[in-house]
Amino acid sequence: MNKPDSAIEKIFRLAGRVQCEVTVGSRDSALTRFADNVISQNVSSSSRDFSVRLLDGGRSAKVSFNQADDASLKRAISSGLEILKKQKKDPELLPLAKPRPLQAGKDLYDRATAELTPVFRAEKAAELARACVKAGQTACGTVDNGCSELLIANNLGLFARWRESFVTHSVTVTDHDGSGWAEQTSHDAEGIDFGRLNETARAKAAASRRPRDPKPGRYTVVLEPQAAADLLSYMNAYSFGGQFYNEGRSFVCGKLGKRVLSPLLTLEDDFLGAAPGMPFDFEGQPRSKVTLVENGVLKAVVHDRRTAKKAKTPPTGHALPQPSYFGPLAINLAVKPGKDSLQDLIKGTERGILVTQFHYTNLLKPETMEMTGMTRNGTFMIENGRVAFPIKNMRFTQSMVEAFASIEAIGSEAELVPVWGNVSCPPMRLSGFNFSSVTRF
Amino acid sequence: MFKLASKAIEVADKYKVDFGDIRVVEQRAQALAVKTGEISALTDETTIGYGVRVLYKGAWGFASGSEMTERAVKETTLKAIAIAKASGLLMRGKVRLAHEPAYTDIWQTPFQKDPFAVPVQEKLDLLLSLDRTLRADRKIKVSEAEMEFIREHQWHLTTEGSRIEQVLLNSGASISATAVENGESQLRGYPSSHSGQMLGGGWEIIEAMHLADHAERVRDEAVALLKAPVCPSGVKDLIISGNQLALQIHESVGHASELDRVLGYEESYAGSSFATTEKLGKFRYGSPLVNLVADATLPGGLATAGYDDDGVKAQRWYIVKDGVLSGYMTNREFCGRVGQERSRGCSRADGYSNIPITRICNLSLMPGNSSTEELVSGIKDGIMMENNTSWSIDQKRLNFQFGCEIGWEIKNGKKGRMVKNPRYQGITPEFWGSCDGIAGPQEWRLWGVSNCGKGQPGQRAMMCHASSPARFRKVRVGVKG
Repeated sequence: MNKPDSAIEKIFRLAGRVQCEVTVGSRDSALTRFADNVISQNVSSSSRDFSVRLLDGGRSAKVSFNQADDASLKRAISSGLEILKKQKKDPELLPLAKPRPLQAGKDLYDRATAELTPVFRAEKAAELARACVKAGQTACGTVDNGCSELLIANNLGLFARWRESFVTHSVTVTDHDGSGWAEQTSHDAEGIDFGRLNETARAKAAASRRPRDPKPGRYTVVLEPQAAADLLSYMNAYSFGGQFYNEGRSFVCGKLGKRVLSPLLTLEDDFLGAAPGMPFDFEGQPRSKVTLVENGVLKAVVHDRRTAKKAKTPPTGHALPQPSYFGPLAINLAVKPGKDSLQDLIKGTERGILVTQFHYTNLLKPETMEMTGMTRNGTFMIENGRVAFPIKNMRFTQSMVEAFASIEAIGSEAELVPVWGNVSCPPMRLSGFNFSSVTRF
Repeated sequence: MFKLASKAIEVADKYKVDFGDIRVVEQRAQALAVKTGEISALTDETTIGYGVRVLYKGAWGFASGSEMTERAVKETTLKAIAIAKASGLLMRGKVRLAHEPAYTDIWQTPFQKDPFAVPVQEKLDLLLSLDRTLRADRKIKVSEAEMEFIREHQWHLTTEGSRIEQVLLNSGASISATAVENGESQLRGYPSSHSGQMLGGGWEIIEAMHLADHAERVRDEAVALLKAPVCPSGVKDLIISGNQLALQIHESVGHASELDRVLGYEESYAGSSFATTEKLGKFRYGSPLVNLVADATLPGGLATAGYDDDGVKAQRWYIVKDGVLSGYMTNREFCGRVGQERSRGCSRADGYSNIPITRICNLSLMPGNSSTEELVSGIKDGIMMENNTSWSIDQKRLNFQFGCEIGWEIKNGKKGRMVKNPRYQGITPEFWGSCDGIAGPQEWRLWGVSNCGKGQPGQRAMMCHASSPARFRKVRVGVKG
């Protein structure tokens, strides 16, 4: 990637005396997509995008662009300054953030991973496809990799830079009327167990053939990490952000310090933890480690500078790009693992449902975190501690506050799930989970 | 711009690709929003770049870049060819594209007033004024007023000789109020929910919304919903407003009729479809009243253009005719799989950096000959629902659940009291099969969906679904957790 630093200096000069914040996001990515046992799409993209925020005496403007030649910079910043002049003052607008010391983050950049070739990706897809063809199955999925860099600077002296690589192998296998799924994401391709993922998805697809019709109702559920993380990430986004809290729309309102969720649940946001990431937020402020839930007790919500000021509390360094419609968000979530394996969770279930993955989850009511969604790619009935038979997919309609108050056990093996940021999540067993209907497959 | 683009065609021709194209896309997007008295968005974004697609020895490769030099275009094209060679490592047969004539043309979205020429201050003044009205009740804790304008200028060159320039312009706005009391919140919005109402055209679209005329009602209904009874549970007759029907059409017919999904090419992400190819021309999708028409020529539609990103001219066709599955959303790669010699022109890409994929076109439920009043009068025990709050459907597009902002009971042919948290669940063909009344052309409106996600990497697309209110019998409503 080209270094954008010289463009930032030029932008500061063009901004003159007004406060100026520049965010530069650069991304080189490539993705090989396969379906029906062939490569169906194979793409590569390279981009660098600038966002410039200009502030002056309670007025603000933001311009974004992707060309950094002198003429483009001049045109963009002149346009921003012109908008700025015509603004009315916003009494709530905060000045730009001053620089604060930043901790180093974990090293999440691996050059070899960033530069994996299309041939590498094609070969990985082919390994799965060959096995599927032999077994009469159909392979679908992606292998993607690349790197991204985020740079935030302002003319008060703040300068923060973060770079990371990424690779994901996502596998969906269909086997007649069965389907299975597995996925792993990492910053380092050495950490991806391609073979295990392929075998997991293939085995699930085979095992989920000829699903039976279950009856809607309340069941004990064993949620695999992806399924549990999907639900938890919604609860995080709509309940543990300072804006929802300040607006009175979060179930956490009035309950901080109280045990509302299961004593087995501890939920932390930590950029140095099990779901690591950049050490600063989108205002360039240091991220704090925040314990959101400790043994079921609601401990804190996360804040950016704006929501923190309203809540009369210190910011925690969780800003999204400003101005933010959504407010702050914790993006490095980790659930404290328990002691049981996934098999132990199943063994401890007299009658229940094993869920591989949820599909099309959505929030119904933020104040109770009532949600709906479908199961997908491997749903099984558990009887007497064993996976008994596959079942057709079911729709849940369920309050997540009630669900996560009803955790019976948490597994020991967490997986990194990229959903609303990253969530490190083990499997878990919940009681009384409501399935409201069944679909046809 | 065509001169720069022609470098890609020159390189593609040199390598004797089966097919190659380059789309240069310049996009300007302006977003303004006021949330609870504060300016929560004021952005003006301009991007330019290009995507190069090649079909080399029957395999696809795509690469994009934003460095606007001939050298960079050449490098990007070579990268696309290298990727296509890798794709050749895992293929069954060569990809062949359906024939389409080469065109030289210019097409532009018709509009009356350029929204980018309207001063930012004028837009903000309107939003701030709306926000003040929305907040004029102490129970309103969140008020939102927003606008978005997107102009996309495309230059498309193909190795087949097409040279197409298009300028697409979309404008949108919405207002909403959230009332909060005793730990409960209720949302009400206008004209529609989520990213608001967006249509193809200019500032005149915003003017026609008459947002100021609706702000007080939106606020008062949000507050009233707090005290309203919860929507009763049970199997009841249902009338769905046009803005909710838009999402019902989108999720249960639009996505289900995308041929790439039907053939399993979206299985790894958004899913597949129950509307499989052997059902074409035979399968009863809905009652004989149900006619769903795809139309890339629909005035004001978000998917309205002269050509799609495969260079296929805009068309109009039935997806469901007299209740029977009659067509699919197709592109040049897959249309032959259902015996079509020509694509329907549904191939579209998000910006410059994405490869074109099969997308839902404008898809509309054609009007009937009834009216909302008549539909209500034919119900003994039912619910009327308006404006979406939540949506969910399984990966084959069968089992769905939708939540709406507001509902009203219908008893003995009369619209009665307001109810909150209205929801309904169903199975797609059974649901459309229960449709026994559709309001007429006088109530038929276009509704925009401006945030449709699909594909890996994820892409956003926009389309419209026109409809008038419709009645469905014996639907499961009031689903609770």
